[in-house]
Amino acid sequence: MKKILVSTALLAGVLSYAGGFRVSLQGVKQLAMAHTSAHAEDASVAFFNPAGMSFIPSKLSIVAGGFGASNKVTFQNLNTLQSTETDNPLGTPLYAAVAYRPIENLSVGFSFTTPFGSTIQWPSDWEGKEMVQKLELKSFYFQPMVSVKLAPWVSFGASYIYAKGKVDWDKAVTQFGGELNIKDEKASGSGYGFGFYFRPDPKLDISIAYRSPIDMKAKNGTATFKFPSAAIYPLLGLDPSTGQDKFTATLPLVEEYTIGLTYKVTPKWLVSADFNYHGWERYSKLTLDFANAPVGNQPDPTILVAPKNFRNSKTVRLGTQYAFTDMIFGRLGAYYDESPYTDDNFIPETPSFNTYVITGGFGFKLKQFGVDVAGGYAIPQARDVRNAALGFNGQAKAKAFYFGLGLSYNPF
Amino acid sequence: MKKIIISTLAVSALLLTTSCNNDFDTDVKDIQVTKGDADFSKYISLGNSLTSGYRDGALYSSGQNESYPSMIAAQMQLAGGGAFKQPLIPNDVGGFIGLPGFPGKLTLQVAANGSLGPVPSSPAAALDNVTAGGPYQNMGVPGAKSFHLVAPGYGSGAGLATGTANPYFVRFATSATTSVLADAMAQKATFFSLWIGNNDVLSYATNGGTNSQTVGGVTTYTTATVQNGNVNPQTYKSNDISDPNLVAGSIKAVLDGLKSVGTTKGVIANIPYVTSIPFFTTVPYNPLTPTTLGANLATLNASLYGPLKQALTAFGAGDRINLLSSTSSNPVLIKDVALTDLSAQLTAALTPSLGAPTAAAFGQIFGQARQATSEDYILLTTSSLIGTTAPGVPSPVNVYGISYPLQNQHVLTKTETAYVKTAVDAYNSSIKSLADSYGLAFVDANSKMIELNGKSGISYDGVKYTAKFVTGGAFSLDGVHLTGRGYAVVANEFIKTINMKYRSTLPQVDPNKYSGVKFP
Repeated sequence: MKKILVSTALLAGVLSYAGGFRVSLQGVKQLAMAHTSAHAEDASVAFFNPAGMSFIPSKLSIVAGGFGASNKVTFQNLNTLQSTETDNPLGTPLYAAVAYRPIENLSVGFSFTTPFGSTIQWPSDWEGKEMVQKLELKSFYFQPMVSVKLAPWVSFGASYIYAKGKVDWDKAVTQFGGELNIKDEKASGSGYGFGFYFRPDPKLDISIAYRSPIDMKAKNGTATFKFPSAAIYPLLGLDPSTGQDKFTATLPLVEEYTIGLTYKVTPKWLVSADFNYHGWERYSKLTLDFANAPVGNQPDPTILVAPKNFRNSKTVRLGTQYAFTDMIFGRLGAYYDESPYTDDNFIPETPSFNTYVITGGFGFKLKQFGVDVAGGYAIPQARDVRNAALGFNGQAKAKAFYFGLGLSYNPF
Repeated sequence: MKKIIISTLAVSALLLTTSCNNDFDTDVKDIQVTKGDADFSKYISLGNSLTSGYRDGALYSSGQNESYPSMIAAQMQLAGGGAFKQPLIPNDVGGFIGLPGFPGKLTLQVAANGSLGPVPSSPAAALDNVTAGGPYQNMGVPGAKSFHLVAPGYGSGAGLATGTANPYFVRFATSATTSVLADAMAQKATFFSLWIGNNDVLSYATNGGTNSQTVGGVTTYTTATVQNGNVNPQTYKSNDISDPNLVAGSIKAVLDGLKSVGTTKGVIANIPYVTSIPFFTTVPYNPLTPTTLGANLATLNASLYGPLKQALTAFGAGDRINLLSSTSSNPVLIKDVALTDLSAQLTAALTPSLGAPTAAAFGQIFGQARQATSEDYILLTTSSLIGTTAPGVPSPVNVYGISYPLQNQHVLTKTETAYVKTAVDAYNSSIKSLADSYGLAFVDANSKMIELNGKSGISYDGVKYTAKFVTGGAFSLDGVHLTGRGYAVVANEFIKTINMKYRSTLPQVDPNKYSGVKFP
């Protein structure tokens, strides 16, 4: 009994790897250029670096956009010759931001993003059903922020982050021929971000930003067991009629360091590059503390600790924009995103791959209105899966693409 | 600057195009299952209960359908394997009506006090005969010891009464005089598996190293013999440990018999240490907590443990018993026949204080008594006995495990455990050398069981299997035999070694797809 949840994996990973792999979708213009950060054209810079607001040309800028993110993961077991594909629905991340400069050296802004929001859906009877059948995540970031221009060529900005999230996780508990659902719709946490934005030369933008870790706290989660017969519920300390128990968990989201720069090679042509460093090492394990159910693996049998063993990871990005006219812009980019865990730690609820992504898009500007479209094609690298702790062995590969539509409005 | 950017772009593009490996080298859908050097067209399996698919204390149809040879046969069918027929019990309960000692399967039930426990069912049908439906490729016979495979008459209905036959083999034996081996040879199989020898020590262990005899409703227990230098099984009692030479000779006879009809390719498995199974590891040696003992703790120390300790100390055996602790769990009292019998000395020492008749009873009861240690194994079936009243014993020294020692048949003592291990090591050494000399694939079932019994168990796609009773998932409710999932783990070990030896590519099975312990 104690072991039935041993495979329960890490909500932490869930919140950051929704949909299977790291998806960077917080600005349509940015995505088209490999999701690089040193772009202070409009309020979409807010998520990337609050300090960028000070260099937005307009006093007021409003942006909003949405994406479609499609992905499919395939797992094959070379021992049993089974092959399984996910059937993930389309993910639809959204963003909106506003930046306003009431006085010359001060900008205020607000950013709303759904940086992680997707669903991984394996066939409910696949071989890894004990680990995950379906995992749905929604998250919302609310970030008020302020930026001060310290000098004509440098600004400093900071933001407060309030994060809210939902996790809904189905998995089989095969020992009882049943299932377990772990759900919390009210997980929340807070953090902060800050950054410097430099423009030492009209041709060069440099963005340095830091986003803090956030401990997403699920204080009142519900674990619902469904067994063929309810006779077991009282033995597990579950509600006899519903099979439910409460749990708490803290789901750490990691910090991110970003340095980005944009160089205007000619007035019409700019090139951008970014380097991100993600502090995934915080995810050494996840602890689920159940109210009553003795389904853990610790001396206190209601506490379940699942190893995660993430490692810090890096992303490198390179993008470019060319202005065909004052109204039409073409954009391209490519980036490489490193998986935060080794083959020995691969988990199917948050499958992750070293991924190359090719991006592109167009922008159209009509007076104060901007319309941008972007697309991304991901080439996740197939990998060997050798998770000895879970006895999960085989090979995994994935496919993914993204598309997005963004609007911007810069009235004055 | 411009140059740097352009060259960076070029390098990135190059990286993208050269290092992309986003597809599998080999897709499992394209893999052909091959038989290698083996021929799986007719596979037969020989063995005991483990081979038959026995579990939950009975042989029943759904369990048989999840026997490990049946799983292996299904994978062999992907590489030209033939049909694999099993002598299925005609119901899903098992047991034989009218045959004492053959109840139906155990099922897990919630007792009145809310705890879960296995409860035996009534047998579902009388002994049937399915010989006409044969021959059967699964020839596993529950209860068979190594020498039974070569014993003529082991399938004789008439032999049941005299104990020379086995009802499971009676069901499908082709004649009253045949042997399991003879019926196997008649099939002229192309491939075989053999896993035998467990029962040559298991029944000794599960009976606490005793043989029993019931006369007129009264059962008496005698110490079973560790046979050594005696290879005539007709002189053995049912729970004796078989002579290693007899086991090796019997297995060799099976291999020679099969070889004589051309069945030369196969797989053989060794014997797990029986003490790694839940039947021996579930009941702790020290279940007597201060809470369960309550007020009796002080009384026991003053009137029983104290005087006994004092008397035993005088005879140089003071380490047999210590006073009960009021802060930690206490071991049960057991009788250990390997100890020097101090009955007479105890009687003499206690006579002045207790009077002659009581002192004589004490001497008789505690002459070979001691507290259990972590090296003794309390049998699973003994668990319900601890704390109950021993019949025919005067109060207050009649509470099993507390004031009255658990008897020889209730405990596998340290000494008996050593006999078991010595025998298994000898059997396994022979099995390995036979495997080598006959060129067979060899399954180290012992290692796998030790792995299962280890702290981390065996994980498979997120399901963790351990040798823990009921909740470990691998062992059925009898604490000795596996679940369908446990048998699948075994099947995979067979498949791996077959593939290695014969260069075949049989796929493994997914243990999680089979049934485990069924909860109410």
